[in-house]
Amino acid sequence: MQALNPGGRPKGGAARLEATAALYYGPALLFLGLFVFWPLVSTAWISLHDWNMVGANRPWVGLDNYRSLLGDPDFAGTLRQSALYIGLALLGNFLLPLGLALLTLQVGRREAEVYQSLLFLPTVIAVSVGTLIWLWFYLPAGGLFGVALAQFGLRAPNWLSDPAWALPSVALVAVWKFLGFNYLIALAGLRAIPVSVLEAARIDGAGGWPLLRAVILPLFAPSALFLLVSALLAALENVFVPIEVLTVGGPAGATNNLMYAVYQDAFKFFRAGRAAAEAVLLVAAFAVLIVWQFRLLERRTAYDR
Amino acid sequence: MTVNPVAVDVDPVKVDLGTPSSAVGIAGGHPLVTLRSRRRPRPFRWTLWAARILLLISAGLVLVPVVYQFGLSVKPSAGLFSAPLSPLTWPPTAEHYAQVLEGLPLWRYTLNSLVFALGVTVGQLLLAVPAAYALSHLRPRWGPAVFGAVLISLMVPFVVTYLPNYLLLARWGLLNTLPGLILPMLTAGYAIFLLRQHFLSFPREIIEAALVDGATTGQRLWRVLLPAHRAPVAALAVYLFISTWNQFVWPQLVAGRSESLTLTVAVQRFASGEGGNAWGPLMAAATLATLPTVLLYFFMRRALLDTFSEGAVKG
Repeated sequence: MQALNPGGRPKGGAARLEATAALYYGPALLFLGLFVFWPLVSTAWISLHDWNMVGANRPWVGLDNYRSLLGDPDFAGTLRQSALYIGLALLGNFLLPLGLALLTLQVGRREAEVYQSLLFLPTVIAVSVGTLIWLWFYLPAGGLFGVALAQFGLRAPNWLSDPAWALPSVALVAVWKFLGFNYLIALAGLRAIPVSVLEAARIDGAGGWPLLRAVILPLFAPSALFLLVSALLAALENVFVPIEVLTVGGPAGATNNLMYAVYQDAFKFFRAGRAAAEAVLLVAAFAVLIVWQFRLLERRTAYDR
Repeated sequence: MTVNPVAVDVDPVKVDLGTPSSAVGIAGGHPLVTLRSRRRPRPFRWTLWAARILLLISAGLVLVPVVYQFGLSVKPSAGLFSAPLSPLTWPPTAEHYAQVLEGLPLWRYTLNSLVFALGVTVGQLLLAVPAAYALSHLRPRWGPAVFGAVLISLMVPFVVTYLPNYLLLARWGLLNTLPGLILPMLTAGYAIFLLRQHFLSFPREIIEAALVDGATTGQRLWRVLLPAHRAPVAALAVYLFISTWNQFVWPQLVAGRSESLTLTVAVQRFASGEGGNAWGPLMAAATLATLPTVLLYFFMRRALLDTFSEGAVKG
């Protein structure tokens, strides 16, 4: 009898099964709706108002916040610095971990685990806390980098207050902090290359650079592109706390970027309407990247078949 | 007799393939590794040694800030600027730790961080385990749409949600409270995504066998699926704990002015205030704030790294 009418799936079951499933995913969905999706709508709504975040006075201004952003040289500077930073992130958050992952394929698995464990360590340290030692490294007088350069008779720049050096200095901290994670993901992607293909190539006598160029890289290209977009999406988020701890967006906006500007305009300058408009532009930029990423993902699954 | 050398030659290969628990998940052992494991003398390979040296240098460079952070925390104040290049000095001093433990209510902050991190970890698991189960094995009609929402939620930049969430908490009177800190962090998108990946790879036949045995929906999750996924769930819990413990921007906004200050925010406050030039005490505070996550990492290293790698590939 049990087998004919098993518990959990009663006769008139479809509707009840749906209801049971909804009980299981419903609470999680409720939280996502309340704290992610509703805020998205709310942000778009706030962006159409002029508001200082505290007062009850909140006049409707239509697209004025967007218009003033697009005509604002400060905002143009923020966009330019974002682009510059993303360029640096491409080197540090994508090419560097990818290169290290390729090197790791040369060594044994046991040995690779040691490098993984060591490189991953900064990932478990709080960014805000881990960044503090860099304040000391970058100290203009008596800091580690300054003293080290002085040993060779070189004069260190003002790492954090020179507009030319501030961005790379802040970017370096983000690279340090997230290298292990990006490296782990890159390595996993490389190792997901079908073993049979590699073995066939080896039997055919391929090895070293030819194997890398003719087999590994082409097979890895789709995952690499996927990694690239992920790195781009994570870049601005990764550097957020280093900026907050080291430079607060300065000097003269040199380390500001679109994501940090949203936070600063809202919670430091109380320009809620402007911050919300920036947030909407940020989401739009992300959406473009994500659509691109989904395209890549589809192509990658097509490769698998 | 002639067979023996062959057997000796092959065995290490088999052992090498079998040992790493993750290897099966990531498309089997890597041939570049396994083929080399034969016990036959190999010629010196410069690519291997170049790779080894570059990797060692990178690992060393990554550890430099960690070493200096600890080094400064046990360095007598007098020697700080006289020999800034040497990370460690002998004998070490505990004066900075004593000073920090006396001057700051660190226990209070640690307790706050603990409640915050545990609250978010437990809350997210309670939400994500049933949701991942529903999306992987119950196959509801709206499942794809719900999973789509989960994926989209992962891609919303955190900073976009801060302003509305802050306003919402203000309206509910939850600013500067631990519940206010925890609730908006209970968006379990990543947890659902990761667990669903793992649940999907669990053989359907076993679940169906349990169904035939009369197990209810809940029993199939609780008695069949969960016991088989102890490792990824534990790794996820550790990941959630560490990343919540390390949160900075949100706790600073919501609990910045109160008794609900978390350890990371408190250390940062100390740095931008009284501790700004007191590098010894500051680094002692930083080391104390780092210790719990680093210890957790050392004990759970293997499970964490495996779970991340697999989630990344299957994703």
